[in-house]
Amino acid sequence: MSLTDLREDLIASLGPDGVVTDPAHLRTYECDALTGYRVVPALVALPRDAAEVAAAVTACARYKVPFVARGAGTGLSGGALPVADGVVISLQRLRRVVEVDPVDRRATVEPGVTNLDISRAAAKYGLYYSPDPSSQQVCTIGGNVAENSGGAHCLKYGFTVNHILAVDVVLPDGTATRLGGDAPHQAGFDLLGAFVGTEGTLGIVTGVVVRLLHTPATVRTLVANFDSTKDAGDAVTAVIAAGIVPAAIEMMDNLAIQAVNAAVDAGFDPDTAAALIVELDGPADEVEARFADLTRLCDKATAVTVARDAAHRAAIWQGRKAAFAAVGRLSPNYFVQDGVVPRTRLGEALTRIAEMGDTAGIRVANVFHAGDGNLHPLVLYSEERGEHERAEALSTAIAELCVELGGSLSGEHGIGTDKACSMPRMFSADDLATMQRLRAAFDPEGLCNPGKVFPTPRLCGERPGPYRPHPLEAAGVIERL
Amino acid sequence: MRPTSLAELRDAVRDTQGTLLVKGAGTAEGWAGVPDPTDHVLETTGLTGVITYNPADMTVAVRAGTPFAALQRELAAGGQRVCLDPARAAAGATVGGLVATADAGPLRHAYGGPRDLLIGVTVVLADGTVARSGGHVIKNVAGYDLGKLLCGSFGTLGVIAEVVLRVHPLPPASRTVSIPCDATEAVEHTGRVLEARLEPAALEWCDGELLARYEGVESSVELRAAATPGGTTLSTSDAEAAWRRVAEVGDGDLVVRCGSRPSQLPAVAKHATSLTSSTAVGVHTLTVTDVDRLREEFPQVTVLRSAPGTQAWGEPHAAVPLMRAVKQRFDPDGRLGPGRYRPWF
Repeated sequence: MSLTDLREDLIASLGPDGVVTDPAHLRTYECDALTGYRVVPALVALPRDAAEVAAAVTACARYKVPFVARGAGTGLSGGALPVADGVVISLQRLRRVVEVDPVDRRATVEPGVTNLDISRAAAKYGLYYSPDPSSQQVCTIGGNVAENSGGAHCLKYGFTVNHILAVDVVLPDGTATRLGGDAPHQAGFDLLGAFVGTEGTLGIVTGVVVRLLHTPATVRTLVANFDSTKDAGDAVTAVIAAGIVPAAIEMMDNLAIQAVNAAVDAGFDPDTAAALIVELDGPADEVEARFADLTRLCDKATAVTVARDAAHRAAIWQGRKAAFAAVGRLSPNYFVQDGVVPRTRLGEALTRIAEMGDTAGIRVANVFHAGDGNLHPLVLYSEERGEHERAEALSTAIAELCVELGGSLSGEHGIGTDKACSMPRMFSADDLATMQRLRAAFDPEGLCNPGKVFPTPRLCGERPGPYRPHPLEAAGVIERL
Repeated sequence: MRPTSLAELRDAVRDTQGTLLVKGAGTAEGWAGVPDPTDHVLETTGLTGVITYNPADMTVAVRAGTPFAALQRELAAGGQRVCLDPARAAAGATVGGLVATADAGPLRHAYGGPRDLLIGVTVVLADGTVARSGGHVIKNVAGYDLGKLLCGSFGTLGVIAEVVLRVHPLPPASRTVSIPCDATEAVEHTGRVLEARLEPAALEWCDGELLARYEGVESSVELRAAATPGGTTLSTSDAEAAWRRVAEVGDGDLVVRCGSRPSQLPAVAKHATSLTSSTAVGVHTLTVTDVDRLREEFPQVTVLRSAPGTQAWGEPHAAVPLMRAVKQRFDPDGRLGPGRYRPWF
């Protein structure tokens, strides 16, 4: 029985306190923040450093036992869902900030370091780590690399992949290697760029070198209320069309605002149909000039509140970043969606989502990154009332609607287990097979986080969803051969 | 072969036997390794034109053989641009060529390179498979990002047919400031400009002069230029001449691009007869006499223009075995660009 042998090997490499075997304790690893899928792993490895990660992976490879890396478990797409009879390799003990280098503006950290702790370590030099997922107090940089995490301020600053200089990786055969280097110039293919965002399917990250930026000179933030999400969406379009690139533009609809107000006192108007949070940052004069333009462009707003000071701004963002959790006050259960639509289809998408919700008899709250079209519809339902399946179907339909409108199934949360079965709606069999070639180059045995990202018969039934032409294809704009 | 549509390109690859060299405008002919003679040359210059451009979405889809300069002209009419300014653009470099060579210019300081602006790609593999990844939205993590894999692939993994790029608004005004200094001082000045939160769009040291370019609203770029420690604001014509000098560093006999920690600029500059460097980024383009000596100290080197007998690639770095594995999966018969990456594969 290879699992017994594997357990002995892992205990020999990691010590008895480096391996979880107790069934009750194993259950704490059965899911990430996508709690609808649960699988109890056979074993959990708790390595303390890169060498122990390599030892754990080598042991799994020896017995051909699948393994799944796990950070803080905040992932929303089931990317860290264990494999039955497989191993979870937790990176929680790799929490050292190895170095903050203020001269070359970078930090070297282990994968279990939280996103916010990087910025805390860099703060004394006036530097910070830019990507800011709303879970940044908890989520780990290793998870951010796996998911290519975004956040509110990605509109101006880009995503995780734009801020990583190098990763140390243990490949699925146990070999340690490094992708990237001292500068964003590599001799050869951009394997680092290809690796970031592969959802833990190509290897396990044991070290990360991140770029640090200087905190901006000036930050100005406003909250603008609108009579409808459409008016708010039009304001977003006008701001972008004026050539302004805000650090962030977030939208919340009335349901989301009610949830936030029940949790945090951030001063959002409980009676407004929609609110935009718009933030500009940069050199003082640039920001002031653009802020005047921005205020003018919000001419349809029923009220505009400008953040008085840093504390007021922090309260606004605390409210926005608490939104997902706050929705728990409105509904016992909910699904978080993460589709993307082209900016110009935002109004249409919101209208369609509202109609779909009405038809299904399910409430949908919207809180999202409006600037880049990344929607986060929150589908509210009650397990007790037996609404699970209806809500799940609605949530899936919303993601697929985003594809239909020319967008994407996921902007930042990943495909994971959650949306693997929808992938054929967005990509052809050839597209997916080509991606699988990359996977096979890194993981020929298919042991590294199997069953994620790509549809499998086991997950999706024997017949994965039919491929439908992309709308641009249907319109004859692009061709599929 | 010079296909003029994706279907023709697919057929050209699928229905031929033997090796293929992918060629755009030929502006990077000397880059990387010298390819072996191939059975076919596949020119992408017939694959031109914008496929879809919606300024309000700030994305553009374009065929790979489109001259980058032509694309920029078209975008400028909509008040936008792709934030890439490689020297080769003026010589007619194609969009696909810039992606395949991962080429960029001084704007890399604020915007990165092709990898950071590429949001979708269509590629034809060596067996004729047509594959897409990414899409038409800026924020997208669905599936693997094959576009990034193709950056720096020099036509060895597939033929780039179409790309989707992120665009940005054209800045209303710009100013360039010059700070005369040596390479050691350039590192210090770079730190000062960044610490002053002046947010230059480009920060480039070229042969004894640190250039900071500010882009934004008129009043702001003027103020930022004036606030630059130790700098002199250049007139429009002097600024153009200064940035031309940056572009001309690539005209030497043996030119390479290499990466280092930004603070190592003085050590890199010791190897150069002429050098331009994005000082905050640590990416340098330099004319050298001995590439092997440079590589001993800074292994991440790509040859851009080689003298006869130059070894294109140095000792295999840590990720080369993975490059080989990827090549094996994408092009098992070695049809595409044989010799480009010799001796690595």
